[in-house]
Amino acid sequence: MTPDQKLAALFAADRPPTRDYVFEVEVARRVAKRRAWLTALALVPWSVIAALMLWALHAALAPVAGGLADAAVPLAMMLTLSGSGVAAALWLSRRFSAA
Amino acid sequence: MAGSDAAFGRLVQRHQSAVRAFLRRVLGGGWAEADDVAQDAFLTAWTSLRSLHNPEAVRPWLCGIAWRKAQDRMRTRRRAAARDALWLETVETPAGLHPRDRAGLAAAMADLSPEARACVALCLAEGWSHAEAAAALGLPSGTVKSHVSRGRARLLRALGGSDDA
Repeated sequence: MTPDQKLAALFAADRPPTRDYVFEVEVARRVAKRRAWLTALALVPWSVIAALMLWALHAALAPVAGGLADAAVPLAMMLTLSGSGVAAALWLSRRFSAA
Repeated sequence: MAGSDAAFGRLVQRHQSAVRAFLRRVLGGGWAEADDVAQDAFLTAWTSLRSLHNPEAVRPWLCGIAWRKAQDRMRTRRRAAARDALWLETVETPAGLHPRDRAGLAAAMADLSPEARACVALCLAEGWSHAEAAAALGLPSGTVKSHVSRGRARLLRALGGSDDA
């Protein structure tokens, strides 16, 4: 065997298989983990905005809504938060999908 | 999103072998480290897919990312020669070759500069053109050519060839 042939054979022996499910699954797992982190990070400003809006609404509506039942205020807050969360999730799922 | 993930999955499937082979030769030592860097490179590729302007040049683009990751890894690590030698003993040697040929090649590759190793890995082992390797590694084409020429001579010498091989 000539040195050239040896070199070619040794290089060929280092080459991974053309299909490797374990490697592909590990890449997919890392991508999913990164996407989850990006989604969570992107939710932070939305949460701050939602909290500020609720605070402003509460300050503005407190005198008017004084007569409302005590249960109505937390209910409204929960509905607002849920709506904001769903809207943000829908937007982010499109924003962070692979191009 | 599912369609994009499937497309990215196909990209990984199509190019994983070339990227991993390149990193194994550039980093040397155990293959687990090269595979870890390769996974990291594909993750970076996923986050910067929008920077890929020419889909035809996806292979040099991916290997360029892998090359930068490998450079970072080489800067931060201290490999133990004893550990590498032990690992080499566990790798199967192709038929017709002696394990000392593999050890000689590994030692000769390790003696090359990182840039020369990368050029050899792409042009000699993978059959890339000098221009393609230059684009992936961010080096002038003439530099790639001389790295390949000198690297080949040193590897052949390590495998029993003459000095002018």
